[in-house]
Amino acid sequence: MARLTAEKKVLHADLEGDSVKAAAGSMVAYQGNVEFKNAGMGGGGGLRAAVRQRVAGEAVNLMECTGHGRVYLAQDAFDVTVVDLQQDTLTVESEHILAFTKGIQHDVQFAGLRGMTSGQGLATTKLSGTGQAAIISDGPMIALAVAPGMPLVVDPDAYVAGTGQTQMSLVSGVSWRSLVGEGGGEPFSLRFEGQGTVYIQPAER
Amino acid sequence: MTFEQINAKVVRAQVGPGQEVLARRGAMLGYEGQVTFRPLAGQGQGVGGRVGAVMSGESNKMMATEGQGRVLYGFRGLYVTIIQITGDSLTVEADRLLAHSANLQTSIEMVGGGGGMGGAIRGAVRGAMTGQGLFTTKLSGQGTVALLSHGGTFPLQLNGEMVGVDPQAYVGHVGALQVDLKASVGFRDAIGRGSGEAFQLHISGHGTVYVQASEKKF
Amino acid sequence: MPTIYDPNSLPVDDNINHYAFSIDLNGEWFTSKGAMIAYYGNIDFSGVAAFASRAAWVAARFSSPLYTQDWVVAAGQGKLVIGDRGNDINSYDLEDGNLTIKAVNLLAFQPSLELKQSIVPGFVTLIGTGKFLASSNGPVIFVEPPFRADPDALLGWADCPSPSQHYDYNWMAQSFMAGIQGMFGRESGEERQYDFTGAGTILMQSSEMLRVDSALMRIVESQTNLLDANSAGALGHKLIARAQQSNM
Repeated sequence: MARLTAEKKVLHADLEGDSVKAAAGSMVAYQGNVEFKNAGMGGGGGLRAAVRQRVAGEAVNLMECTGHGRVYLAQDAFDVTVVDLQQDTLTVESEHILAFTKGIQHDVQFAGLRGMTSGQGLATTKLSGTGQAAIISDGPMIALAVAPGMPLVVDPDAYVAGTGQTQMSLVSGVSWRSLVGEGGGEPFSLRFEGQGTVYIQPAER
Repeated sequence: MTFEQINAKVVRAQVGPGQEVLARRGAMLGYEGQVTFRPLAGQGQGVGGRVGAVMSGESNKMMATEGQGRVLYGFRGLYVTIIQITGDSLTVEADRLLAHSANLQTSIEMVGGGGGMGGAIRGAVRGAMTGQGLFTTKLSGQGTVALLSHGGTFPLQLNGEMVGVDPQAYVGHVGALQVDLKASVGFRDAIGRGSGEAFQLHISGHGTVYVQASEKKF
Repeated sequence: MPTIYDPNSLPVDDNINHYAFSIDLNGEWFTSKGAMIAYYGNIDFSGVAAFASRAAWVAARFSSPLYTQDWVVAAGQGKLVIGDRGNDINSYDLEDGNLTIKAVNLLAFQPSLELKQSIVPGFVTLIGTGKFLASSNGPVIFVEPPFRADPDALLGWADCPSPSQHYDYNWMAQSFMAGIQGMFGRESGEERQYDFTGAGTILMQSSEMLRVDSALMRIVESQTNLLDANSAGALGHKLIARAQQSNM
């Protein structure tokens, strides 16, 4: 079984004749006998895939790494976090996916949360099933719990991923950015309610 | 030891007579003592060095630090790796040199070119083609080198086997290693967009390869 | 898997990791715009000017008009998580003291402290007793005078006289001979340093040229009032020439 291990800013993907999917171009080094081939959007061909490609852009372009050996995966010196999924779903801003093992399905959803708030977002991807997923963040990931009566507000530019049953809404009236209108960012933040975990990075994009 | 690692992004050098330091211009963060800085006009010797210097455009980025004192070096918040050279040689991408002991010998080489001037020219053409600029500086002798990287480096030890490295993530190597630039058709397919990432460095032999956790060059 | 925090387990006025800090808010803090990355609880953010119209003490504490538009008052109860583009974050406790820091690196301070503009452009001084948060590119390095610092790597100083400027004539002469740069080009940092003498502490970071201090332009612009019309015009031409050169 392929195994993903995070070593700070580098992900080790140890392959035993099987394969993992990884963000295209994220291989920094490899040892052993490994082949890399385009895995596209993972949703087969045809019109549906083509439309998704348009929606998702290049951020979710994936490659398949197959063989025996170790692949070192990294992107932009971001920190790597490996999340174990057991019949679970992780919702990730697509550009933060580094790799995931077989047994996890991925489904590109819609223009990302960031897209809703700033118009610059790419896409959100749902990773679901059983296996390992590696996600990246600018600085070490911070996990924050959401529970009934304990809502959480986050800066959309720091939001990375979430699990569980949470409802997300946009909060306005938070005026720290709107005062001078610097950079055109809307004064929205994301408010999460329900039950789950939200992952943020200690950096604004 | 002339360099002391202050934190992941800054080193301190003890400078004195016979312990001068060559550093990237703009890398001095601060100093105490009687220290002077002098811009260098060129670097590297021999025809290969000169050609390489002209083609890489890197030769005029260095300065000498002389006198007596302690100097902090760092550059634009990039990570710094200290490597001690004891009789062997370190090959690094010229852009990644933060500072090194002035007594080290330097020359400019192409990696992946197959050696010799012919190789260098072929390599240069390929380097130009890929936009990777695989011009390297080879440092040898006894001394210390401080290397810049995006996010830090990790070493890969080679004992006869081969490692594939993304040219943009390659930082440098120590030891008797064979470096080949390979165009990988399969990899080109994987990446697409003709981004130049269709190339891999295939490095084999006995030694250590330093790789950064990023494809960002600077 | 990272630790999962909730409002009770988040640190109380302490770092979550090197790059994020958790403020236990119970009242008000001044925070720079965009420093908040997440919060629990009931917290309102309003502009310093707007808040000052309701609370007269604000004007006395925030006596730095150049920076008013870059700051807000966070008021309420809860846990407020502060981050700054992946930079290291440190908290400093002042006890009847003062510390001068690069304005773009100051992220938040308690209203028991007073903020003033330093006479060194781009720096602000905090005076009094209380806690403040500042970011740095890499961990902060503390050094003591006598010391000369590259302006780009200088984060701040405490308890010592304001620095003077030191020009390295040796470097400049060599540079002229080598034809390396014009006086008006971007400095490399080796020709000019801030020179610290006396007793105190100097705070250094790895240099960073990418940070834009919007107030710095306002400072420089206000200083052009010293020029007469002809000189101002000549300066304008030089600046246009430089902008065109850097675009090439």
